[in-house]
Amino acid sequence: MEYKVEAHRIMSISLGKIYNSRVQRGGIKLHKNLLVSLVLRSARQVYLRDYYGGICLSAQQAREWCEGEYMDSEQDKLVPGSTESLPESDGQSEVAVDKGEPINVVESPASLDVESQASGEQEHAENVILDSGCSDLKTTEESPEASATCEVSNVVTTISSNCISDPSPSNPKEATETPTDCQTDDSESVEENSHKPKVPRAYTNRKRSADDSELKDPLPKRTKVISPLLISKNDENKGETEEMDTSNVSSLITIFGSSFSGLLSSEDGAQPDSEVEDSDSGQICCDQMLKNLNPWSTAIVAF
Amino acid sequence: MLNPIQVLSSDITSLSLEPEPFASYTEADIISTVEFNHTGELLATGDKGGRVVIFQREPECKTEPYSQGEYNVYSTFQSHEPEFDYLKSLEIEEKINKIRWLPQQNAAHFLLSTNDKTIKLWKVSERDKRPEGYNLKDEEGRIKDLSTVTSLQVPVLKPMDLMVEVSPRRVFANAHTYHVNSISVNSDHETYMSADDLRINLWHLGITDRSFNIVDIKPVNMEDLTEVITAAEFHPHHCNLLVYSSSKGTLRLCDMREAALCDKHSKLFEEPEDPSNRSFFSEIISSVSDVKFSHSGRYLLTRDYLTAKVWDLNMENKPLEIYQVHDYLRSKLCSLYENDCIFDKFECAWNGSDSVIMTGAYNNFFRMFDRNTKRDVTLEASRESSKPRAVLKPRRVCQGGKRRKDDISVDSLDFTKKILHTAWHPTENIIAIAATNNLYIFQDKLNQEMHG
Repeated sequence: MEYKVEAHRIMSISLGKIYNSRVQRGGIKLHKNLLVSLVLRSARQVYLRDYYGGICLSAQQAREWCEGEYMDSEQDKLVPGSTESLPESDGQSEVAVDKGEPINVVESPASLDVESQASGEQEHAENVILDSGCSDLKTTEESPEASATCEVSNVVTTISSNCISDPSPSNPKEATETPTDCQTDDSESVEENSHKPKVPRAYTNRKRSADDSELKDPLPKRTKVISPLLISKNDENKGETEEMDTSNVSSLITIFGSSFSGLLSSEDGAQPDSEVEDSDSGQICCDQMLKNLNPWSTAIVAF
Repeated sequence: MLNPIQVLSSDITSLSLEPEPFASYTEADIISTVEFNHTGELLATGDKGGRVVIFQREPECKTEPYSQGEYNVYSTFQSHEPEFDYLKSLEIEEKINKIRWLPQQNAAHFLLSTNDKTIKLWKVSERDKRPEGYNLKDEEGRIKDLSTVTSLQVPVLKPMDLMVEVSPRRVFANAHTYHVNSISVNSDHETYMSADDLRINLWHLGITDRSFNIVDIKPVNMEDLTEVITAAEFHPHHCNLLVYSSSKGTLRLCDMREAALCDKHSKLFEEPEDPSNRSFFSEIISSVSDVKFSHSGRYLLTRDYLTAKVWDLNMENKPLEIYQVHDYLRSKLCSLYENDCIFDKFECAWNGSDSVIMTGAYNNFFRMFDRNTKRDVTLEASRESSKPRAVLKPRRVCQGGKRRKDDISVDSLDFTKKILHTAWHPTENIIAIAATNNLYIFQDKLNQEMHG
């Protein structure tokens, strides 16, 4: 838990430094900003690990929940060995889940507004289920008592095979180790994380459209859109309960606004594409994220 | 054999005009570079306000043994002014990043000083005679009434009070897109290089309107940028060799004979990272802040945030020696990141015989490591402990455990007092320490006694 809080704090400090560098005398210092962006990336990696821990459990819950709704057959089945049916793209199968602590991981989501959680998980679940083929989860409530750790690992595998770019503030703990995360570092994901109105405009739009389309049309979608959905729900509803100091980041990001416009536009351009196509969408998302790795570089390129 | 660890007496020259304890200084007074010339007779300092102050060592006086060897102000001039780049809407700081002396070839002294963008060559010369007896103008310089001129005379040179004149001889501008961090004069005494974050340019001292780019690590797509150049230096004897350090902690030795563009290194000095020390800030603390060739040319001295390393040019895979400067900060990296101290760029220095290395730290401490005896010492540069001819007392930072008297605990270190810039006399055991706006010059007591 401390790691996640620490990582978040470091991320917000890093963003503050990047912002301040814009107004410093003498112009932007390339070396310092490069180092700050590296720290940002490291912190983000740690943060994402926590996210995976939370997401897989949430996904599991959602799958369990949606079992009853969408899948008539194969309900109430625990198929621990269904890992091979899951798509494991990019060789990211070595996702280790801290099997001993699934309950802890889910504790925080449990503190969320349950309804929003449910709706978030619903979409989440749809994607997860359809992605992973036959469901292999029990039907349970979206309760924190997620049990089968093997299911968790299935879900984690699924999710990790896609590009997840947005950590959820609801993930309390660095319970999972996902060494081969999609390296989608960028400050925008941090922005995602905190509830600011402006910069994640693109993300928010993407989420909403994803929400809408999914509600209307339960077509298979990659789980990568799960994260923004989940996050949007979590963000909107959980902000006050979360102790993390996101207000700093949100104000910073609001101020950032214009300097990230270039990134946003590229982001906007990318999202619809990646939403529509399922194949390689994870990869595209990855690429987009990687391009947005160094927000200051947009300014530096102007040198 | 002199024991360089016993740096004892001191001679303080402060650049701030107000006496302690009311002394306050502006940011412009902060010293940003210190450099001895090749004989050690002159010491130049540059500050954030773009000024250069040159100190000269007084010749030793046999009658007064204690006043010999002191450094006094020789000349002060404004080297760089703040500029504004209208195209990019960026202000260019006047801070002097580096000063390098040229080897002396005649009575005048030449030095290169650089800010972020422009390098200037200054000529420092003395004038102690002036011509008198002009025909057309009188003593004050007024034109004479021709009708009063009845005879012609040849002007003669008469002695006058010593005057030090400084004039800019060359201005090397518009060659760097990024911030210049290093300059280094080649051993051929004709060329020099200037390095910014991504490129290194080779100049001829006499030609200002063009330079050759010899290293370019700028990626095609700036978003792929992973490392920058942090320091660069020419080999002291081989005019074709240069080394540059990167923010990733690597050193690259380049041979200019291999190709016009030395992007491909001849040797890469890199130490594999210790995975057990991995943290959020591993990349920052591995960034090399300074690199110096030894006087012999055989070794390299590098400084990163927590250590100083000596490399053998013949061994690329690991450093020869690693010296922990202030390892007690390893657990405080997060707070040092918050207050920006983790980005401080400490310099390092060799002594004349390459047996001792020196570097600065926080709380106005600086450290010396004897490579032969493996002894090290921590000393403080402060007014209280540095009365003239006082003996510097070794200091100690305690990290918990037994605390001796006069030990400083890690938590009470003053991180605003940092010694980033140090210089060692090329032949004698005299060191110059820049502590914010103050310059301290210390001398080995044994050295003094030998000359006294």
